[in-house]
Amino acid sequence: MASVISGIVLGPDGEPVPNARVYFTSGPVPLPEIAAITDDRGEFSLTAPVPGEYVIQGASDEFTSRSSKVKVKGKSPVRIELPLK
Amino acid sequence: MATSKKLPVPKGGHAPLSSLSQEAAEATSPTSTDSRPPAEGKNPKTKKSRKDGAEDVAGFKGLKGAAKVESLKAPKTSNLKDIGEASFGKPRAKAEIVHGVDNRVKINNTADYPWRVHASLLITAADGSNWIGTGWFIGPHTLMTAGHCVYIKNSGKPGRDGWVRSIDVMPGRNGSSLPYGKVTSKNFRTVAGWANSGDENFDYGAIIIPSELGNTTGWFGFGVYSDATLKASVGNISGYPGDKPTGTQWYDAHKIDSVNARKVYYDIDTVGGQSGSGVYRIINGGRYGIAIHAYGGATTNSGTRIVTPVFQNMVNWKA
Repeated sequence: MASVISGIVLGPDGEPVPNARVYFTSGPVPLPEIAAITDDRGEFSLTAPVPGEYVIQGASDEFTSRSSKVKVKGKSPVRIELPLK
Repeated sequence: MATSKKLPVPKGGHAPLSSLSQEAAEATSPTSTDSRPPAEGKNPKTKKSRKDGAEDVAGFKGLKGAAKVESLKAPKTSNLKDIGEASFGKPRAKAEIVHGVDNRVKINNTADYPWRVHASLLITAADGSNWIGTGWFIGPHTLMTAGHCVYIKNSGKPGRDGWVRSIDVMPGRNGSSLPYGKVTSKNFRTVAGWANSGDENFDYGAIIIPSELGNTTGWFGFGVYSDATLKASVGNISGYPGDKPTGTQWYDAHKIDSVNARKVYYDIDTVGGQSGSGVYRIINGGRYGIAIHAYGGATTNSGTRIVTPVFQNMVNWKA
């Protein structure tokens, strides 16, 4: 029943942020504490193991971290943006 | 301490798997039946721990609530009952990883023991995606970590599942400073219960590095302990969380909350990136792993408990 949450981390100027850390901070079940690193295009993808509401946080050394709530329904993939301040 | 007897190879969910061929994996397996003590490596500059079972770290505000520490003895593994297929506890309704006030403190002297036992991991998965985690030395060549740091399961992403491509191991990292350099490994271990079933109760693995860096950094001992002993213990975790500046090490400690047949639960603050950290207790000044941190939960976080088959694999993986 896993669903993929993919997205992009953006800086205050709207440009992609490579090498940002992206990880779950809450979810409907216990979650693995491994963090994704954004690629050269600021892209990441995490796996939501079950449907429900998750909170994903993005962090980088240059900007203030930012969280986003994500609702996962079934196996449908979800796409988000994480704009850092 | 080298001895001649090899521990039995666990079966079922704990059956060991290697990223190398079977022949190559067996060639690197040590043999012994002793309990496994810690070693402090070269020029450790170890600071004595606190009397309450936590590390003595500047800025650490102490354990949340009162923590009674039992009379501490050297680890024994011979008196552990076969805990078999006991229940695994209730699932958490909502997972949060830092509970209440964030008690983590930054470690600055990461080049000293015990902090240098912990390594920042940069993981490259089979699909080329990058991840961060934590590992901890148990021998000159071997670090323990979470199974999901070495073998990705049920990701839903084509090409991602399976053994990771490589892991950069950076012991005692402090930001851009790598006091013991970086070692890259492609030699990993996990068990069938994780690789075949994705069962969180079997979420542990190991990284075998091609150098003897652990002889310099030192390592943690590890042991199998009773429920009562664990519940009376203070758990310590240090690792490399993703919410803090890149590559910085953060520490917290708290009394163990609960245990079941395969997991240890605790209110020790952790964040993504700390998967694979050692959960350890301090016995007469020695650090002994009791679990491998892996999950953030609702009211407690959790790690894979070092029970007899986990211990047997760790002994056989220790090199």
